[in-house]
Amino acid sequence: MEHLHTTKSICPVCGVQLPADIVRETGGVFLKKTCPAHGSFSALIWRDGGVPYEQWGGERPADIPEYCPNGCSSCSSHGQDTCCILVEVTNRCNLRCSFCFADGGAVLTDEPTVDELADAFRTLAEKNLTFIQLSGGEPTVRDDLPEIVAAAKVAGATSIQLNTNGIRLAKEPEYTKKLADAGLTFVFLQFDSTDPAVTQALRGGDYLSDKLAAIDLCGSLGLGVTLVPTVVPGLNSDHIGDLIRFAISKSPVVRGVHFQPVSYFGRCPYEPADRDRFTLPELLNAVVTQTEGLVSLEDISPSCCDHPRCGFHSDYIVLPDGLLSLNPHKGGTSAVTKTSALSNRCYIARRWKRDPESERFIAEAETLNMSDMATFLAAGKSNMFTLTAMAFQDRWNLDLERLNSCSLHVWDKGSAVPFCARYITAEKN
Amino acid sequence: MSDTTGWKCGKCGEALVLKRNVFNYMGRSFGHEVPTCPKCGRIFISKELAKGRMAEVEALMEDK
Repeated sequence: MEHLHTTKSICPVCGVQLPADIVRETGGVFLKKTCPAHGSFSALIWRDGGVPYEQWGGERPADIPEYCPNGCSSCSSHGQDTCCILVEVTNRCNLRCSFCFADGGAVLTDEPTVDELADAFRTLAEKNLTFIQLSGGEPTVRDDLPEIVAAAKVAGATSIQLNTNGIRLAKEPEYTKKLADAGLTFVFLQFDSTDPAVTQALRGGDYLSDKLAAIDLCGSLGLGVTLVPTVVPGLNSDHIGDLIRFAISKSPVVRGVHFQPVSYFGRCPYEPADRDRFTLPELLNAVVTQTEGLVSLEDISPSCCDHPRCGFHSDYIVLPDGLLSLNPHKGGTSAVTKTSALSNRCYIARRWKRDPESERFIAEAETLNMSDMATFLAAGKSNMFTLTAMAFQDRWNLDLERLNSCSLHVWDKGSAVPFCARYITAEKN
Repeated sequence: MSDTTGWKCGKCGEALVLKRNVFNYMGRSFGHEVPTCPKCGRIFISKELAKGRMAEVEALMEDK
């Protein structure tokens, strides 16, 4: 066993903060911790066979307060500002997925009114938090969602993202049009695979035709769509290449794929063994090998707004004959500099938002001469395509140094709470 | 800015003409017409171009 780093975590049973060691053992890198009351725990965090652990972005040592992450709320020790703020508009859901970070639909609670949400949006705008993610539950179960979108827009939100399974969007085009008219900017669409069997297994039904219809409808309404698969090893981990190719075929409506390797928080069907995890180097390998030359590891960089081991990003322009990588010189094997949440917010919005004028320019162009500045710019705005990933943490693999760098926050009772802190629950809670 | 009216090369005194020039940035080359001295080849980059298309290319290509 080789000791690599010391950090902090929690006991998955009682939630008390514990010191944790990151060590290399046979098969990969593990996070290990011992609770005096509940024993020792080990979780695989980086499986061998891909990018070496030490070469992915470096460490981010942090001063973790003793109470972290319990009672987490806009703590002054937190190491990163808010990039995107997630606002839960309901905890109802029209699905009962096997995996759900929010445990949607489990216990129904009172929903905030449109007026209460408008107050929240104004408060957020005053803090310059103008990138809003409307989430749940499933936000589209609310008939007044168009009013909520309009309230966010009026309050000053510049990017309004809808996190959705897309079913109602597909089934009620008038409802979707109202959302677009109200100022919705883009859609984060749950989309696990192009194989209906995967949707059946993960979501309890064959919703593929609904999701395809939702993409086409959003396309006609000028909304950008980012596909969001939950990647479960052995279920859809071999479908990643097909999913990327499908997404590219839907450019410029589809702006990219945002991978979320399965995490065992909220509602999950079982306590994970190491074989149940799909770690970041495995995802990187899958993206590169399954796209058969379309994407290379050198295109992809570690997260720099969050902890490097929380995810990755790469940017492309979709061309008729493939992808033009915008940052091929970077690659994932060097330390990355932390970027500001504001810079990241602008970066994401530029990429996921549609640009009708540029789309017209590209549609009317006889050839795409990418050496021409005007054509390059139009193609970049019209056909931008991103591959991104976010590896959420659960109570077994939680590294509080990673949590300390989190820029994706949930608006909870007037505080911006880091995403994983919001949804992790210890067994006894 | 594509209007060359009234601009002269500070070094040669020649009236600038629009000419396609190549710009290199982060490993890529882009052609664009800018006012150019026909004698010495010096070019004039307007504030509009610097803060417009050039800044947009930068935003598009640079990382977060």
